[in-house]
Amino acid sequence: MADAIIKTVIDAAEKNNAIEVLEVTIEIGELTLLNPEQIKFILEVLSEDTILEGAKFNIEIIPARIECPCGYNGRITSNDELDHYNPIISCPSCGGGEFKIIDGRECNIKNIKIEKEE
Amino acid sequence: MHKIAEVEIQNDILIANKKLAKRNQRLLDKAGVFAIDFLGAVGSGKTTLIEKLIEKMDYSIGVIAGDIISKFDAERVKRYNIPVVGLNTGKECHLDAHLVEHGLEDLPLDKIDLLFIENVGNLICPVDFDLGSHMRIVIISATEGDDTVQKHPLIFKEADLVIINKVDLADAVGADIDKMVEDVSRINPHVKVIKTSLKNDEGIEEIIEAILEAM
Repeated sequence: MADAIIKTVIDAAEKNNAIEVLEVTIEIGELTLLNPEQIKFILEVLSEDTILEGAKFNIEIIPARIECPCGYNGRITSNDELDHYNPIISCPSCGGGEFKIIDGRECNIKNIKIEKEE
Repeated sequence: MHKIAEVEIQNDILIANKKLAKRNQRLLDKAGVFAIDFLGAVGSGKTTLIEKLIEKMDYSIGVIAGDIISKFDAERVKRYNIPVVGLNTGKECHLDAHLVEHGLEDLPLDKIDLLFIENVGNLICPVDFDLGSHMRIVIISATEGDDTVQKHPLIFKEADLVIINKVDLADAVGADIDKMVEDVSRINPHVKVIKTSLKNDEGIEEIIEAILEAM
């Protein structure tokens, strides 16, 4: 995963004639089982000796949103009863379990800030 | 002069994986292959289940066996003289659509009706990665503890069939099987749950029935 992120960013940086990559912003969905802190750490390690070395990695968390047949469309919150980071158990409105996940499963490389020749 | 520029990328790695997964599924559909992804923890009985299905199902079967570095699972299946590809993820704890695409290249798809894809033993990381299979079977065992379902809800949310294996050992390890079944039903209300003791061939016919129904 981190490797794919690094490759995509290097590719974009090279295409845009970057001398240096200053910042990378990545959106991670709340419902993915990716740990933002781990991802950040791995990205920093993998960026050594590349054009990304020293870049700041910003991770933005995308909150989970569902669309339920009962008409509910919105956020879901963590259920403390369960020993899990953020389980999806039921629709907060009707309590049902048959909903569509609209947001929260992203691992999106949003943008990069680069330094380039004028 | 140097200048600072912001470059929009908007490239979602998981969506990219999904696209590849769709491509895998199109390839499988074209060849008339029904693919099943088997997910479960280390030691839950994934390879045993695959072995039993190979023995009992009257179909041409191929297997992709994912493992981090070893080929043990692939070797276990090879003795059935069917096409087997061992995929090593290297360091990764899950298969992804790209790896499976390479696996498919090495299989005689025109000679296969059913493809079993054994994921890496893990209840967490494989969840985010579609492979292009038509059915996801999650297998857990009584010996993992009866809170396993509660602790890993997402994998059950996405499952098409859930198997609770080693139920014969439930008493010995103090696991409440009914609780495990209830937990699955809360997370995924319509999914079928089958209780098995694969070592004793218990429940295997029911699993075959569920697969045939899905095909």
